[in-house]
Amino acid sequence: MVQERRILYEHLDVPDINTFDVFRQYDGYTRFEKAIAEYQPEDIAKMVMDSGLKGRGGAGFSTGLKWSFVPKDIKPCYLCCNADESEPGTFSNRYVLEKNPHLLIEGILICCYAMGIETTYIYIRGEFTLGKKMLDAAIKEAYEKGYLGKDVRGTGLNIDIYSHPGAGAYICGEETGLIESLEGKRGQPRNKPPFPAVEGVFGKPTVVQNVETLCNLPFIVGNGVEWYTQMGPTYADTRANPPTPDPNTGTKLYCISGDVNEPGVYELDLGLTCTELIEVAGGLRGEEVKAVIPGGSSAPILTHYELDTRLDFTSLTLAKSMLGSGGIIVMNETRNIVDCLLNIMKFYAHESCGQCTPCRWGTPWVRDIVQRIADGNGRKSTMTRPKFGVAENGRWGDTGETEDIYEDLDLLESVANNIANVDTMTWNTICVFGIAVSWPAVSYMRKFRPEFEATIREGQLVTLPVAEATVPPEENYAYQQRFVPKEFADL
Amino acid sequence: MAFIKLNDLEIEVEDGMNIVEIAREHGIEVPHYCYHPGLSRPANCRMCLVEPHVFFPPAGAIVPDRQLATGCTTTVRTAPPERKLDGKYDFIVRTDSERVKKAREDILEFLLVHHPLDCPVCDQAGECDLQDFSHRHGSDKSRYLEVKNIPPKKDLGPDVLLYSTRCIVCTRCIRFGQEVSGSGELGLINRGSHDEIDIPRSHDGTPIQLLDNKLAGNVVDICPVGALISKDFLFKSRPWFLEKASSVCSGCSVGCNITVEYKADGVYRLKPRFHEDINQHWMCDDGRLGYHYVNSDDRLQLPLKRVDGELSPTHWADALSVITEQLSEVEAEDIIVIGSAQGTNEDNYVLQQLAHDVLKTTQLGLFGQLPGEAHKFPQFTIEADKNPNMAGARTILGSANGNVVLEGDALWEKVSGAKVVYLVSGAPERPLEDAEKAALESVDFLIVQDVLPSEITELADVVLPGTTFAEKDGTFTNSTGWVQRIRKAIDPPGEARLDWEITQQLAKQLGGEMNYHFAGEIALAIAENVPGYQDATHQNIGDAGIKLA
Repeated sequence: MVQERRILYEHLDVPDINTFDVFRQYDGYTRFEKAIAEYQPEDIAKMVMDSGLKGRGGAGFSTGLKWSFVPKDIKPCYLCCNADESEPGTFSNRYVLEKNPHLLIEGILICCYAMGIETTYIYIRGEFTLGKKMLDAAIKEAYEKGYLGKDVRGTGLNIDIYSHPGAGAYICGEETGLIESLEGKRGQPRNKPPFPAVEGVFGKPTVVQNVETLCNLPFIVGNGVEWYTQMGPTYADTRANPPTPDPNTGTKLYCISGDVNEPGVYELDLGLTCTELIEVAGGLRGEEVKAVIPGGSSAPILTHYELDTRLDFTSLTLAKSMLGSGGIIVMNETRNIVDCLLNIMKFYAHESCGQCTPCRWGTPWVRDIVQRIADGNGRKSTMTRPKFGVAENGRWGDTGETEDIYEDLDLLESVANNIANVDTMTWNTICVFGIAVSWPAVSYMRKFRPEFEATIREGQLVTLPVAEATVPPEENYAYQQRFVPKEFADL
Repeated sequence: MAFIKLNDLEIEVEDGMNIVEIAREHGIEVPHYCYHPGLSRPANCRMCLVEPHVFFPPAGAIVPDRQLATGCTTTVRTAPPERKLDGKYDFIVRTDSERVKKAREDILEFLLVHHPLDCPVCDQAGECDLQDFSHRHGSDKSRYLEVKNIPPKKDLGPDVLLYSTRCIVCTRCIRFGQEVSGSGELGLINRGSHDEIDIPRSHDGTPIQLLDNKLAGNVVDICPVGALISKDFLFKSRPWFLEKASSVCSGCSVGCNITVEYKADGVYRLKPRFHEDINQHWMCDDGRLGYHYVNSDDRLQLPLKRVDGELSPTHWADALSVITEQLSEVEAEDIIVIGSAQGTNEDNYVLQQLAHDVLKTTQLGLFGQLPGEAHKFPQFTIEADKNPNMAGARTILGSANGNVVLEGDALWEKVSGAKVVYLVSGAPERPLEDAEKAALESVDFLIVQDVLPSEITELADVVLPGTTFAEKDGTFTNSTGWVQRIRKAIDPPGEARLDWEITQQLAKQLGGEMNYHFAGEIALAIAENVPGYQDATHQNIGDAGIKLA
């Protein structure tokens, strides 16, 4: 049985940890003081680079690498803390903000020291009223104790933090959408490049970091890089010569919800499998696992064939899914995948910012197609066509059989792929919202095609038994890269 | 200069140009909606996708980039020697690959899912980018079965209607309001597929601010589809029935380049024409909507002669002989010839010749519209001088030896004592100030050459019907010294004649030796005789105009 390893959440349950005094008793701000006393800013940046910390917001981009892109000679430079946690199925930042906001402030202080930043904006989700209240109180306290403001603790650093509530748009969690919103404009993502590291808030270099990423910094500084890299697997990317290490170090706050007995946030090492995770969360509620969403609603779904997939950034990318924000939703055999997809597509159609054409008019279209199928009005042609699949010679091709033509499923796949192509991983949209829509749409449809077909045939929602509902891996190209290729191996 | 490969073309281009512009210069179409050369580039329509090529080290080859890029935001720069592709190219891009073609088709499909396809009743049909690009790059069928959005039609301001159903949310109009006019009336409301362009409104829907700035009409021009429609042009004509003439706006001394769009029965609309140094892509609504007098039913069509205190129609021979009679009776110093800042350089040159060579008077005047309001916008200026050719008329009238060109109070003082005044006006709806009226009333014999009945023609003894900017060829000189061509679009109404023709006829009857056949000939004479205008022949000026040294 895998044990939780609480680092970020270690003192979460301590009464009054949100106050400065109690936080101080539990080593609060000592890591920041250590950073100032023992390290130069460049040392901190190097430690973060060496620790292999990957951004916890969703993309899993190396934090140290991101910092290295920030030009050193342009000032002011800003830090934006992304606390706009709005991915469905994700709720880990919220507890940090509500219960232990000083930890976030300490992380921000370390980041500001490392990058020479004087102003930080915390863009906090508008619905987090309690979190905002707690955070504001903590910021006020930190100012009073001299950890924020002019000349922090006599070190000559000037660090200010402003908290800014969002107005409820999902897209403001995208870093450039967040910046636009912060600047007082409509929350619409910008064209990249330039990336925020070069041109961000108010046209200045900006580091945008998730709450969880920043909360990792005190522990990296406090306990050292060696201690941190012990947690989680480090793979070797052998496509490069010599092989480059691809670290997935540290712990992750997994938000487990759905059909498990004890849903909640669990802090675990990266690299555990789905099965282990479900065990940690009190086991499955129901008979068998039908599907697992590994990283928030925009991640491609995993079937019961893929429960041995490791939940870390690299493994999930190779499995053609993503860890994203770590919002894991488990579904048991009673769940109807068409209905799940409809729910998710409604969300994305509603949350599309409407800036660029494919997303603005593609997302409601996809939703409408799924709605039509779920309503029992999906179209099936009376004709058949040759079936493509793994042929006798073991290669992809004409199998000699015929298959029914489900026009609406073809249309769904085509429209979703026109927003963002999940096979080539290219998108015609400005931001990655496009792929966040087509990923679930295409993966649900491909991996649970029998259930979609049955729904169209029967003219109503049909929930098939798990074995029947799922397309076996060897038969479907949706799985093509599921298995870890040889060039990636444990170091 | 950067050396790039565009499809199969190897071309040199300036640094900083984007792919859409480069392609256009070389006759390759990259379809686009949100991109407009005069506005910022949000790249939100995703229509101008092109395929850049990059060097891929593992393969050791130049391959298409993984993602397509928007042509409007992809600018070309000279690469350092070690980063040149294939050893010589700074950039390699294709606009005709299968991937690009598919992307365009896909985007067009999305653009059309909520479009009402009401082309038969849409004003924009025929000059609509959505039509054109769908025809050239789109699919021939729709796969959309769902219900279309039907946002409401909106009245945005005095001249602009919004047919929201046709809108593709390219935000050109919004950016125009923010960047060029600086007034920012337009914005987006709602979100996602419910995006709508709108003006600020209170909760019950009543407008708080209308789209009524002086540049509002431009949003109609830049709208790539039929969403923003000019009330002035609504349902008046199909664009393909309109003839076009390149001309210059006569509304003020800026001299915006325009296209006069007309049919045999009159001018239908004016559209701005690009000129980098003068008006860029824009024109103001005063100019845009100021053409109506050209089509007016009240236009002077016959010469008028005062008989028993009443102006009554007569024929040209009669009118001219009356004038000749009067002019030959008085001394040269009692005659004042007043040119018009609304007239072309050619009109004024012939007038000046009549005064100097035939009537032997050196007393000339300059008449025109009263100064109006000046407006300054972030990227556009409307000038207070409401005459298109004040600078040119002033120079040309005063070009001959000893000519004195009087203006304002000095002119009216002189007019008060004159016996014969030949006043060329051409300024529509020009009110007379008290001093002016008094001065003109005191004239013994007043000849007025004008296009519309006005307070001035009421005082005249003979009225000669002249022509407007839309009916003649010639040149205007704007306030910054640009000499630009105007071109004849429609025929003058009735028996109205070209202004210089009238003047020349008069000169001939008075024994002058003038024999111009067309305006270009007069321009040659101007080039020869007027300092500064050496190069200002019609041939040299062309569509772009030339700037006086």
